[in-house]
Amino acid sequence: MDTQSYMPVPPGVGMEENFLSLDDILLSHERLPCKTDTSFPKLGFLEKTSESHDIPENTKMEMPLWMAKGLYERKRHVISVDLPKVYREGWRTVFGADANMVDLHKMGPYYYGLGSQILHFENAENPEIAQSILQTFIGRFRRTMDSSQNAYNEDMSALLERLDCLERALFRSGQNGLNAFQLWERGRASQLTASSLVTNYRKRKITELHS
Amino acid sequence: MADALSEASDLSGGEESQDEDVLTPPELIARLEEAWLNEKFSPELLENKSELVECVMEQLTHMEENLQRVKKGDLKASIHRMEIDRIRFVLSSFLRSRLQKIEKFFPHVLEKEKSRADGDPSFLSPEEFAFAKEYLANTEVYLKAVALRHMPPNLQSVDMLKAVPEPCLDSFVFLRVKERQENILVEPETDDQRDYVVDLEEGSQHLMRYRTIAPLVSSGAVQLI
Amino acid sequence: MDPSEVEFLAEKEMVKIIPNFSLDKIYLIGGDLGPFNPGLTVEVPVWLALNLKQRQKCRIVPPEWMDADKLEEIREQERREDTFTPIPSLHYMELTKLLLNHAADNIPRADEIRTLVKDIWDTRIAKLRLSADSFINQQEAHARLDNLTLMEINTTRTFLLDSLNCMYKLRSNLQPGSGSGKAHDY
Repeated sequence: MDTQSYMPVPPGVGMEENFLSLDDILLSHERLPCKTDTSFPKLGFLEKTSESHDIPENTKMEMPLWMAKGLYERKRHVISVDLPKVYREGWRTVFGADANMVDLHKMGPYYYGLGSQILHFENAENPEIAQSILQTFIGRFRRTMDSSQNAYNEDMSALLERLDCLERALFRSGQNGLNAFQLWERGRASQLTASSLVTNYRKRKITELHS
Repeated sequence: MADALSEASDLSGGEESQDEDVLTPPELIARLEEAWLNEKFSPELLENKSELVECVMEQLTHMEENLQRVKKGDLKASIHRMEIDRIRFVLSSFLRSRLQKIEKFFPHVLEKEKSRADGDPSFLSPEEFAFAKEYLANTEVYLKAVALRHMPPNLQSVDMLKAVPEPCLDSFVFLRVKERQENILVEPETDDQRDYVVDLEEGSQHLMRYRTIAPLVSSGAVQLI
Repeated sequence: MDPSEVEFLAEKEMVKIIPNFSLDKIYLIGGDLGPFNPGLTVEVPVWLALNLKQRQKCRIVPPEWMDADKLEEIREQERREDTFTPIPSLHYMELTKLLLNHAADNIPRADEIRTLVKDIWDTRIAKLRLSADSFINQQEAHARLDNLTLMEINTTRTFLLDSLNCMYKLRSNLQPGSGSGKAHDY
């Protein structure tokens, strides 16, 4: 049955975030390359590479998305946010050539989510970034769909490893649909299984804090 | 016994006279099944169907009363019981899917109820309204107890309307047309497309945005599938 | 929707049975059935037919389309054409499963039928996947899907609708300002 006692809040996808979505909370911890446009007095302890008391203007540092969004203001220059390289022109060309070739988990794992969030920060390339993300999704759709529908009972781990988090969620809902149908077909529709717990398990790459 | 059971067919709500369309029991069941599927597949909570639910309940109660007078193991009675079970299943599944939506969208459901004009029908049955209010209160108490009271004073409240996602009316739905519709405007998906109109022929099936056809769902002209 | 709920809907379909008992007309809430006379064909919903069959009170007459020769034709047509061909029953998959699992002895060439229906299903699902991909690729706003059955829709429903929703949101990124108004400060 599709009745669940616990209904997780799905990620917002796009520029809006869902406050109570675990995926979006994880996404908000993704780090972005930033530069300070003003000095931050007495916050030197946050920047472990230097010993100074303050964070001076023009310091390059990484910052989680939530903090960058909080500090960023269009009019007053507090920080500026750099594009992570996967959204820069070089990579956009790669995606444009064949989006299926790219390991979006390694490059992400929140490629679509972070890419949409980055649009909050002013950048001349924003329209191209938005277009590139959309086209990447469309370009990879067929493979996500086919693998989620055909590959039942096969080892999908290699392909699954290369999917972005959003694609994984879609892959899973595709498999659930197929799975439910096959169970029904074999007359075991009413039996409960624990498989979703196993497939929900997901390894998260933790970005290194220091180099 | 045959008489006791045959009565059931003609108790189609003679006292429901103020309702414009008096439904026969089979029509009643058909309506319930339509409402069930529409509720299952529409992204938002639909108008409540309290009257329909009450009529079906009456039918079931009446039939069950009749069946009590019948001895166990009677073939006819067992067929009636099977039918009752099937109708009950649809009824509970319908009500349950409404409750699930209320849980999912409770702040928005309550907001809509608050801003409803006096004469307009409520989207919630009285029971559902009570449920939604209680759900909101419990959620707030819970959040306060586990997290918010540990926060700095200026961060001790959460705006539920912003925190809980709204139903996405732009979701796509599958539908079957029951009454022919002309000139339904389909909005373009991309800048280089133009909007265009489609005719929805009776019996045809479509995949399109819920927003486009939402009024047709409530009028009963299309059925979500 | 769970496939068992789709099956539940299919159980409302009418099927002919030949009872071996007699019973007056039954006045169900959903409509009248019967009367039942031994050896005389009568139409009942599938849920009742299966129950009577399990109690050995009737023989089920398979629906006309549930015939190996007819299904073979349908299979060939389905393979020949790119579009979804009109299928004789909108519940062909569920009815095949239900009747073959519970009344195979009343259905000639049951095993062949099972395979044929599975072939038809596979062909149609492959087409469905193809059209889903082109729907996404062309970023279409509307598709007409006559002849597609509820069970077919249901196997890809969540996946397809979730994908379309994601795509919609990624596309709304192209119009900055549309959704950013309420993104901050909870």
